[in-house]
Formats: sequence, structure tokens, C-alpha cells
Amino acid sequence: MGLGLRWYHFFLWAGFIVIMALMPEFVSKGTLRTIIFANFLAIFAISWDVLSGRTGYISFGHPFLIGIGAYTTAILTKRFDVPVEYAIPTAVIMTMVGGTIMFLPALRIKGSYFALVSLAFMELIYQLVQVIRPDLTGGTRGMSGIVTLTRGAVNGYYLSVTLMIIVALCMWLLMRTRLGTALSAIGMNEESVKGSGLSPTKLKLFAFMTSAFVAGLGGAFYVHYLGSIAPRALFDINFVFTIIVATLIGGASTIVGPMFGAFFLTFLLEYLRPYLPGAERYLIYGAIALLLYMYQPKGLYHIVMSQLDRFKKRADDD
Amino acid sequence: MAVILLMEDLMKFNYIKVVATMASVMLAATASADIKVGFIGSLSSDTGLSTLRGAEIAIDELNANGGVLGQQIKLVTADTRQDVTEGVKAYEYLAETEEVDFIISGSIDDVSLGWLPRMQEYQIPTLDTWTSYIGIIDMLVEDYDSMKPYFMNIASDEALATLYIDFGKDVLVDKMGWKSTVILQEDTAFGGAIHGLISQAMAPVAGIDVVETIVYDVATVDFAPLYSRAVASGADFIYLISSVNSQVVSSQYVKLQVPLGMTGVNVAPMGQDYWADTGGMGGGMSTLTPIPAVGMKLDPASQEFVDTYQAKYSSRPIIPHFNGFNAYHGLKQAMAAAEEAGGFNNTTWVTAMEKQDLILELDGELWLRYGWWGNDEIEPRTGRTYPHNLRFDITEPFDDGAPSMVVIQWYEDGTNAVVYPEKYANGEFTLPSWVKK
Amino acid sequence: MLEIIIQGVLLSGLYALIAVGFTLIFSVGRVLNLAYGSYIMVAGYIYFYFSQLLGLPPIAGLLLAGILGSCMGLIKYNLIVKPLKGDHIAVEISTLILAVVLQSAVILCFGNSAKILLPIIPGVMHIGNATVTFNVLVATIASWLILIGLYLFIKKTHVGRAMMAVSMDAKGASISGVDIDKINMITWGISGFLGAIAGVFFASYTQLSPTMWVAPLIIAIAIVIVGGIGSIIGTLMVAHIIGFMEIISVALISPQLRGVFTMLLIILVLVIRPKGLFGREEL
Repeated sequence: MGLGLRWYHFFLWAGFIVIMALMPEFVSKGTLRTIIFANFLAIFAISWDVLSGRTGYISFGHPFLIGIGAYTTAILTKRFDVPVEYAIPTAVIMTMVGGTIMFLPALRIKGSYFALVSLAFMELIYQLVQVIRPDLTGGTRGMSGIVTLTRGAVNGYYLSVTLMIIVALCMWLLMRTRLGTALSAIGMNEESVKGSGLSPTKLKLFAFMTSAFVAGLGGAFYVHYLGSIAPRALFDINFVFTIIVATLIGGASTIVGPMFGAFFLTFLLEYLRPYLPGAERYLIYGAIALLLYMYQPKGLYHIVMSQLDRFKKRADDD
Repeated sequence: MAVILLMEDLMKFNYIKVVATMASVMLAATASADIKVGFIGSLSSDTGLSTLRGAEIAIDELNANGGVLGQQIKLVTADTRQDVTEGVKAYEYLAETEEVDFIISGSIDDVSLGWLPRMQEYQIPTLDTWTSYIGIIDMLVEDYDSMKPYFMNIASDEALATLYIDFGKDVLVDKMGWKSTVILQEDTAFGGAIHGLISQAMAPVAGIDVVETIVYDVATVDFAPLYSRAVASGADFIYLISSVNSQVVSSQYVKLQVPLGMTGVNVAPMGQDYWADTGGMGGGMSTLTPIPAVGMKLDPASQEFVDTYQAKYSSRPIIPHFNGFNAYHGLKQAMAAAEEAGGFNNTTWVTAMEKQDLILELDGELWLRYGWWGNDEIEPRTGRTYPHNLRFDITEPFDDGAPSMVVIQWYEDGTNAVVYPEKYANGEFTLPSWVKK
Repeated sequence: MLEIIIQGVLLSGLYALIAVGFTLIFSVGRVLNLAYGSYIMVAGYIYFYFSQLLGLPPIAGLLLAGILGSCMGLIKYNLIVKPLKGDHIAVEISTLILAVVLQSAVILCFGNSAKILLPIIPGVMHIGNATVTFNVLVATIASWLILIGLYLFIKKTHVGRAMMAVSMDAKGASISGVDIDKINMITWGISGFLGAIAGVFFASYTQLSPTMWVAPLIIAIAIVIVGGIGSIIGTLMVAHIIGFMEIISVALISPQLRGVFTMLLIILVLVIRPKGLFGREEL
């Protein structure tokens, strides 16, 4: 089996799950609310990481996928009274269709060009959502009063953290299989992948589909947590920025890296709130993100791992 | 190993925060527990600042008079940056971390829509001073029980269109002799809503024919072709509907010296800083605006508020926008309601707030009124109810409430005036100098 | 008809000016400078501060903005691009973060409200049915002059030809003795200057606001993608295609679809002819 699981992997994951499960005992409701946002950002970051973390197909328009999931379930539940159990899976399927659409340009272009086309996708859907059938989509203002799945901080927390842990665990395991290695290989040298008998097209399609699946799932649950949806909030370059920075600061291609990056960023922003109430907050927040990223583009995960290695080496030397 | 350390650190950080919060809460409980008011809105926009400062002045005055329910009022702020997601986070922060008793909002429409579900969950009494989306009042009609802590003390946008029809009839048709218009409308929900109201009602009631409707994308850089199209339509004047990036379409109208008169709903000229913002290139613009508007005479209480405001704040906005007045008067009413109800409970406070009615007079006449429509009271002209919405009057002689809006105009020398309705007018509607008649 | 042609030429001139600085970096340095829009934004505000608030003559404000843009470009190159040692993705991400940081800085200094710049040259003239502001006319003339000047610079001067060489094959160029670092620095400096000038004109067209860096960035990206890298002529021509497309869709079809057509064009070109319409021609 190519998963390479060790005892400490089980230990770490188990410990993590236990801590997250007990979190409401230790922290205030306000902090729980922040963690909920962090959970969703983690899901989006993981979705991004699956696609862009290792394959070299950098997506600057990931909200395109998240938005399809969000709007599908919002429109179905609010306008057509479809029950949530059907709306969410439909949303995920629609997002995967969107993922396929996004995959098509990837057949011919990569790198910076692909990044730009994904940005164009996001801009396009932003325009379309406001112009086409605003009676369904809510137009520029968006919609409010969408059905929520939970009430209260604690319930919202448990739902979001369960979703996040399931997604993280599955993706983490997935990326440890040979599939994950193959995707990394595509990122390094796509030609050689073809040479070794694998089909880069099928692999890429798989990456897009999986990323879209997670994005759609996350987007749908997100909308049902917020209870509202607005194009300005979803199809926003700031949202792109937050997702990408969370992944990169945490450590791209590691799945757990984006998770920690999401937590770090969300808490950084909230933590600064009582001290720097206004525009200064975002300035400091952005500056810290920039400095961190420039210092170590491989992310916190890499910093932690290299410290660990140094620790191990010293232990070995003794 | 490091991962566990990291997680432990994270937990410790939260743990310390928890201990600190518990300690401060206990401390606060033993001391005189303050009444906490939360402000939600953008701390870097004129809109948000107007509401914030209106609230601040009201709180200062209330505290100087002994506070509310024997306690002093403390104000905490939560910045939304006019971002919908930040709005939700801000509301949650005020509710869960700060545990405020009352929230005063200077949010814009879509941000309010964003945190509304949270208001329904937490049931915290909330006063919205700028958002005017009729859809929210519809939500109150549909689901009064979960929406009832929410009040909107600005006339909803449904009401403003009717005033414009009257303006059309009285000034545009009777005075200017205009019979046809071309609508230049931004491609937003607001644009669509106002367009619907105008095109359906303007033609039959005011006798103005809508020749063409031009819908533009809010990110339009170059309005020259749009204005060309408008002029080519052969209409007598342009009716503009703009709430996003209004400065662009307004200033290009002036820069291009478009040879057609123009009026409408245009957010840009609604603040007193408009002249400085456009570097003096804003003359000729007129717009519908909520009240109290720039250029409007004020009743003594509101005038005093403005004087206090200008003595206290030196940065922009130099005069509060209308929502600043709404915040000032509205917050005082909310606190008075709390006094009567003995607290901010979402049933007794709501009833007490619904009874609040402030009539401000100027020279013996009703000038402004901060009161509410009865929950089942039908407004005669639009034929619908407006629960928890500011009581406005859109039928002559405007003695039941203040008109929902007035029309103002900026002149090319930098002055401005209210031009309609007659009761509030202190200037005339004129064409800019470059439009030949 | 005449109106459309005139308005198309004017708008395209502005778009070409906006795009050329961006194309330069992408062609020579192979990186997407996502903070390019920030040159435009900051330059606009600098011009506003000096010319409108302090009252300096417009030319002085324009030059100051240009010089500042240049400095920004040089600083960006030395502090961000060089340390990241050619990791293109990292540079793109860093510039994106920088753009967001700069937006916050502008909000901090100038607040959220939109401001209108006074026209650099006031007044209008009428050509047939069309009204043309002198401001826009000057912008278009300036952009043509700058583009022609840049073209000559690239073709005729030593430095220009070195830039062309680096854009085609950096390794080869360095082997034949070109100082890649110096060329990159010069390119970033020029790009910053051009972006700043474009910024002042763009701002005087529309408005100043902290979010104004996004729209010109998208325009520049569209022109670079559709036009292809490495060609100033290509940039000019595609700027006209996109500019005319906008004017025609606004004047004749449906103004609200203004943005949609541009996006569709980008996607179409990228899928059918990723090189761009004029890619890899002589600079």
C-alpha cells in the first residue's frame, strides 16, 4: 500500500479530532464563530490545494466553483422550495460540471495563462449572476433568508468542523496515494508523466473534479450557514486572495498546511479587531501575510517540518 | 510533535482569552454593568461615519443626563468595510464576544442582508439607518415574529419613486414643459427596482413618456457613447438611476457637457463633501435624496445636533449624511423604549419602540417626524403596509410625516438647495448653463 | 457612425496606454505583476494630492506620479521579484498580496469615498455629433506618442534591443553578455512609469477609489492574453479591438453586457489560440 502511514499519523489525527471535538468546552462562543469561518476557509483552501497545490495549474478564479455550489443550493432552496437534502447534492454535481468547464482550457494552457483564464471565469460568472435572471439569483444585492441548517454557535461549529475534518482527512489520504504523487509529477514535468504511461489528461480531469467536489460541498454548506448570499462577497478578488494566501502560508500541496493557514489567517484578522478597529487592521494583516510568504514561500508546514527534522537529527546525533 | 505543540499553543491562546473574558465579565458584573451599544458599519466611509458619529453624540448626551436604566452607555464598534462576509463576522462579534444590548447599523443594503439572518437568530434589537431595501420590510410582513427586533428609520425605496412621480408632474412637466424622458439606469437590483416603479407609474400619472431605457454596467469607464445614445433618443431629459460609482456618471455628464437636462436618483451628490470630491465639477446635478438632505433647513433640535457634530469632528464628512440624523434621533428613541420596557427584551422593548414618535417642528409646522407605521396600517397611495419602517408622508400636504425624500440640486457655483416639494424648497430647479433651451 | 469611430479610437488609446506597461513586464520578465493596477491607483492619488489638494500644475503632478511609479517598480523588483529568484507563481502571489495591502493603505490615507479628478485640460470640442473632452483627447494623443516612443526605444537603442533579447530567450541573452538584472530593473522602472501615467489619465476619465486597481488590471490582462506577449504592435491592435468592442456593445447592442464580451473574448482566445493573436512577433 502506497500510503506510508505511520503510528504518529494516527496519533496526530486522533489528537486533532479530539481537541476539535472538545473545543466548545474551552472557548467562548465568539471564538467558536471565528473557528467556523476558519473551518470553511480551510475547506476552500483544501479544495484549492487539491487542484493548484501541486499540479502547476494555479487557479485565480476558485470562487467560480464555490459560487456555483453556493448559488445552486440557494436558488433551489429559496426559490423552488427544494429540501436541503436534495439541493446540496445537486449543488455539488453542478459544481463538478463547472469544474469540467474549467478543465477544458487546461487541456491547452497552463501556468500563468491558466491562472488568468480562471480569473476570467470568475469575472464572467460575477457579471452573469447579476444580469441573467436576477429574479432567481437576487441580482447584485443577493439573497437573504436562506434556510440555515443549524442555530447557534455550538451547532454551527460541530457541523462545520465535522465537514472540515472529513474533507481534510479524505483529501490528505487521497494525496498520499500514488495519485497524489502523479499529480505532483504533472506539476513538475507534464511530459514525463505522459512518457511513463499515465494519462495526464485523465489525471488533470480527476484533480479538477475532486477540487470542484470539495468546493461545491463547501460552498453549499457555507451558504446554509450564513443564510445569505451576495455576488460581491463571493466573486471577489479579495476572496481569491484569502484562499490562496491561506494555502500558501500554511504550505501548499500538503492539505494540512492549508488547514493551518486558514486558521492562522482567520484568527490573525479577528485577533487584531479590538486593537485596530478600522482600515489599519487589514493593512497590518496583509503586511504580515506578505512578509510571512516572502520569508518562506513553502509555508508554515515547511517551517514546522524543517524544525522537526532538525530536532530529529539532533536526537539522532545524541 | 510540533503539530501537537502548535495545537496546544492555539488552545492556550484561546484558554487565556477565555479566562480573561470570564474575569472581565465577573468584574463588570460586580461593578455597574454598562448598557452596551454596538455599531456595525464601515469605519472608513462617509456613510458609516455618519451613523457612528450620530450615535456617539446621542450616547454622550444620554450619559450626561444619567444614562439609561441607571447605567452608563458604552459604545463598541465593528467594522464591516462594506463587505458582506465581514458584516456577518462583525455582527457575530458584537453579539457573542461583546454581548451588546442594542445594535445601531450604518450598513449598506447588501451588508444588511448579509447579517439579517444573524439578527433573526440572536434577536438583538437592531436599528438600520441607511439601508432602505423594501425587501427587508417584506420580510417583516412575512415573518414578523423572527424579524421584529429590526427597525428601519429611513423611508424604504418603494416610497421614493412616488415622490419622483410628483416631482415629474409638478416640476418637470408643468414648469419645464418636458414630455418625454430617456432612462439611464445602472445594472443593479436597485436600478431595476426604481426603473420598474418609474416606467410603470411615471407615464400614466405624470404624463411623461419613456422613450428609451439604457442599462449600463456599473464598471463602465466611458459614458460618452451612452450619453450620445441618450441625446440621440430625442427625449426631453435624462432620468438617471445610479447608486454605484455614481461619481463617474455624474462627473462625465459635467465634463462632456451633455446637451440634455438630467435628473434622477444619484447617490453621489447626497453628501456635503460632493463639491470637494468633484473638485468643483459637479454643478447642475440634481437628485432625490432621503432627508434631512444637504441644503435643507433644519428644525432646532437637528440644527443643534449639527452644531455639536461640527464642533466635535474635523474630518469628513463635514456634515452628517441623513443617516447620521437617523442614528442620533433613533438611538435616543431606542434608549427611551428601553427605559419604558425595563430592558431590551425582544417583546416588551419592541412594543415600546413601536410607540416612539418624535415630531420635530420648525416655525410651528411639522418638519421632521421619527415615528413608525402601524404594523397593519396601510399607506393609501401605495396600498401596502410598512411595519417597522419610518413613517413617511407621500401625499400632500405632508402634515402626517416628513416626505420620504426631497429633490436637491447643486448649482455651478458650489451652492445647493432643496427644489421640491414646495414646503421644503429653498431654491429652483434649473438647467446647467451649457444646456441650451 | 463617426461617433463610434471617434469614441472607439479614444477609448482604445487609453486602454493601450494601460496595457503596455503590463505587457512589458510579462514579455521581458515573464511574470504577471498583479500589483500593476496599484501603480494606476497610487499614481492617481498622488496626482490628486499634489495637483488638486496642493495646487501644483498638472504637468508637475503627472511627472511626480510617473517618477513615483518608477520608484515603486524598482522597489517591487528589488524587494519582491529578486528575492524570490524567478519563482513565477510566488511573484504573482506576492504581487497580489501587495496589491491588497496597498488598497488598505489607500483607504487608511484617503478614506473610502470616491473622488473625481479635475480634467487635466478642461473643456470640450464637438466633432460632428460627438462630444470629445480635451482631457480624453490628450490622453489618447499621449498614449500614441508613448507607444511610438517605446517602439522606437525597443528597436533602436541598445538597452531596448537587450530587453527584446531577454524577452525572447533570457538564458541566451545572458550568455551573450546581457546583464539580466539590469535589464529587468530598467523594465520594471519603465513599466512603473508607464503604469503611473496611464493611471493619472484613467483616473481623470473615471474616478479615484481604493478599488480602482482591479478594472484596469483586468483590461491589461485581457489585452496581453488576446494580443500575445512580446509585441507592442500587438498590444496596440488588440487595445483597439477591445476598445471598439466595448464601444459597439455599449452604443449598439446592450450596455450591460459590456464586461461579458471582454471575458468571453479572453476565454475564446486562450482556448483556440493560446499564443494570442500576435504572439511572438518582433517587439
